Amino acid sequence: MAVNPQQEELRERVLTRSGGGVDAGAPIRQTSLWRDAWYRYRANRAAVIAGGLFLLLVVYVVFAPILSPYDPYGVDFSQAYQPISWSHPLGTDQYGRDLFTRTALGGRISIGIGFAATIAIMGIGILYGSISGFVGGRLDNGMMRFLDALYGLPYLPFAIIVTQLFQTVNFWVMVTALTIASWFTAARVVRGQIISLKENDYVRAARAVGARWYRILARHLLPNTLGVLIVFAFLELPGVILGEAFLSFIGLGINPPQASWGSLAQDGRDVYLAHPTMILIPSVAIAWLILCAFFIADGLRDALDPRTRET
Amino acid sequence: MTTFVIRRLLWTIPVLLLVILFTFLMMRQIKGNPFRKTDRAVPAAIQANLDRKFHLDEPWYVQYADYVKGVFSLDLGPSLVLRNQSVNDIVKSHFPISLELGAYAFLFAIVAGVPLGMLAALRANKPSDYLAMLVANVGFAVPSFLVATLLIYYFAVKWNVGLPTSGWRSWDSKILPSIALGFFPMAYFARLVRGTMLETLQQDYVRTARAKGLRRRRVVGLHVLRNSLIPVVTATGPLLGAVITGSFIVETIFAIPGIGRYYVNSVSARDYSVTMGLTILYAVIVIVGNLVVDVLYGFLDPRTREATT
Amino acid sequence: MALLEVRDLRTYFATRDGDVRAVDGVSFSVERGRTLGIVGESGCGKSVTALSIMGLIPKPPARIVSGSIQFDGKVLTQLREAELENLRGREMAMIFQDPMTSLNPTLTIGTQITETLRRHLGMSARDADRRAVELLEEVRIPRAQERLKDYPHRYSGGMRQRVMIAIALSCNPKLLIADEPTTALDVTVQAGVLDLLEELREEHQMAMIVITHDMGVVAEAADDVVVMYAGQIVEQASSLGLFDRPEHPYTEALLGALPSLEGEGGREARLASIPGRPPDLLDPQAACRFAPRCPFAGLNDYCSVEAPELRELRPGHWVRSAHPASERAPV
Repeated sequence: MAVNPQQEELRERVLTRSGGGVDAGAPIRQTSLWRDAWYRYRANRAAVIAGGLFLLLVVYVVFAPILSPYDPYGVDFSQAYQPISWSHPLGTDQYGRDLFTRTALGGRISIGIGFAATIAIMGIGILYGSISGFVGGRLDNGMMRFLDALYGLPYLPFAIIVTQLFQTVNFWVMVTALTIASWFTAARVVRGQIISLKENDYVRAARAVGARWYRILARHLLPNTLGVLIVFAFLELPGVILGEAFLSFIGLGINPPQASWGSLAQDGRDVYLAHPTMILIPSVAIAWLILCAFFIADGLRDALDPRTRET
Repeated sequence: MTTFVIRRLLWTIPVLLLVILFTFLMMRQIKGNPFRKTDRAVPAAIQANLDRKFHLDEPWYVQYADYVKGVFSLDLGPSLVLRNQSVNDIVKSHFPISLELGAYAFLFAIVAGVPLGMLAALRANKPSDYLAMLVANVGFAVPSFLVATLLIYYFAVKWNVGLPTSGWRSWDSKILPSIALGFFPMAYFARLVRGTMLETLQQDYVRTARAKGLRRRRVVGLHVLRNSLIPVVTATGPLLGAVITGSFIVETIFAIPGIGRYYVNSVSARDYSVTMGLTILYAVIVIVGNLVVDVLYGFLDPRTREATT
Repeated sequence: MALLEVRDLRTYFATRDGDVRAVDGVSFSVERGRTLGIVGESGCGKSVTALSIMGLIPKPPARIVSGSIQFDGKVLTQLREAELENLRGREMAMIFQDPMTSLNPTLTIGTQITETLRRHLGMSARDADRRAVELLEEVRIPRAQERLKDYPHRYSGGMRQRVMIAIALSCNPKLLIADEPTTALDVTVQAGVLDLLEELREEHQMAMIVITHDMGVVAEAADDVVVMYAGQIVEQASSLGLFDRPEHPYTEALLGALPSLEGEGGREARLASIPGRPPDLLDPQAACRFAPRCPFAGLNDYCSVEAPELRELRPGHWVRSAHPASERAPV
């Protein structure tokens, strides 16, 4: 809509004449992009609650072992299978070890693996996807074909095989295995985003002033994909955590003495009829984390990409 | 349409070769000797014999070529640990069981999940929606080993319904494991269907259908459903992978003699050929599954039929 | 008796911040065989009015608060959904703005035409197919027989709109509501669609309501005109009467906003847009809703405090303004 000076004057006249009361529309407050996003996130009550619960879990996992008076590795059969009590909020296991402490420790491992793997997945995905999407053409084609081939590898079996390449399965081995087995989708998502943003005018403008490709990528394209990527990361997190839990449950995961929630569940597997809490507790912890991650992702989606609102 | 299918089929071959290559190379890197049952070292002569018998003394590319030839002639080689059985034997006797389990699980997922999602979408933001989504979210987040354990605990132990909890013989022994395995896909479908239906219900053509005075049954049953189910079909591909890998767990807990259990055991026992063979089998399933999904998608959405792949 | 009588219709949308009064006291009637044009900016409530008549407003957030809609003797606002379904597509039909999204992409054009025929007229599959071909030919789709089996994505925008028209007319409705039928189409195609509509309207002896923001379309197609602003009618007259002597300042502005090749400055004449924005319908003030943008409203006029009523300035010509053209002192 072209605005000419006479129109502007008319407009001024109209708006000022009507004074304050009869003015059309509310005043516009200045907010930054992130503050806007924060407000939108806050509007999603479930997401806020989930965020709180998630933080609670993290606090538990970080502080409980520090504050606990118990030795998580010590064996004391006289204390085996204690029920829930004030001194043992989650009871004890078959070796008399306090479960409250062990679950927290297990949480450090599980959540740690989850985050590390997710970050690694996003990293590789961004690298692969942005190069493929940005360069386009035959390179993109080739890279995508290769990716298609990798999709044929079944997730868990592949992760299992990767873990077996190493002497023992420790934290970083797990992270590596899970990352290698699940980075494909991230790469695809990033590529899709880059491709859809590539044709935007501001990119063309940057190109026109001679900006180098990595600058365009880093300063223009990637920041705009940030929203989608953050949401995606929170959706990948549960998958990774579940994967680790499954592997540990069947005995192919983290080796003792390190324990994750999955291996804790495995401990409880044989005795669940008599002592259901042993398998229940780590499972609930896992489910808690996953549910929180999903609702947070929902809230983030509303906050960072409000166009795709569900009714 | 047929060109589409053929092209996709042709693409599976290099994919398969690549998968075999990866698996093969990785298996070769794994330390550990399958023949060493005890900590005592195997005498050199016997080791050499075994190596020769299983071709482990040949250079890797020869082994690879042999293996690929074997795969394409459907011979997956002998088990290195279970002396009298070849991998093929194992597959033949146990794969059908896992396949059946997977099929029932999927059946449960669709029969329970799709209507749940539809209910939630049609009664959006009302109590039935919240309830349905509660079930779906729980099913989504709770790991299958817990679902399995809870099912056993409540149905077989507490309420003593008389459903067997191990083995895979009588029809009632198949119920609990199928539900346990199908719970996650069910939740996935329910959420997905709800989402796609809600989106479809907003579309202009649904408004047109209503403006034409078509009965609600038809509007929902045909116009809405057909468009909502398309993304659901495409989601089945990756879900298939989840079901397969999830079968390990369910088979272990319910003591079902499927290949999932064999797979896990073969890894700990370092039975390379079984591990490799089964991994390739899984890969084939995933690839074929994705192919079927792509073809189905082309079928359902007329717009893609014309597009060149 | 008029075919369609809308009396004091109020349709509100419930939102977190209160009710948005999309349609706030609208009354008009449409006679058999005549065309009514409803014109106004986006958001003035014209589409919601049409959807209210058809009963297609989304019931959870929206609701008809008061007023009555009488169609062919039946009181639509009192009918149950099932009864409305029987009327829709059969006695009253509607075509929508965007032909690209208004057809189901996964069903053939043929199915989308025949399903209406079979639903309302009980035709057999074969008869319905035959009739569908006739309808496509009526809206001038070439090679109709083959195209029946095509999917919507094979049709261009203009053709899809014609198909929509064919579907709408298939059961010979007494009333056709066309919501911005040409807005999403190329200028070159627009005229053709309007011509087609007029031709078919005459042939089928239908009444028509054309909703648009384009005065040019109104001039072409309408016998009577209703000008809406902020959920209310601000001027109502016969088409000739409106274009001959527009009264409401808003109407005048709309007419002034028409690009014209002659007039002041010839090619240099700029598009005069109307300054300001439409008011928030959440809590409309008691004063005249157009006052903030009205070049004639003074701070001391009563219209800045109290909303003027709709009054009959001349026989058949109603205005809701304190400053209609014929009452203004000559400048």
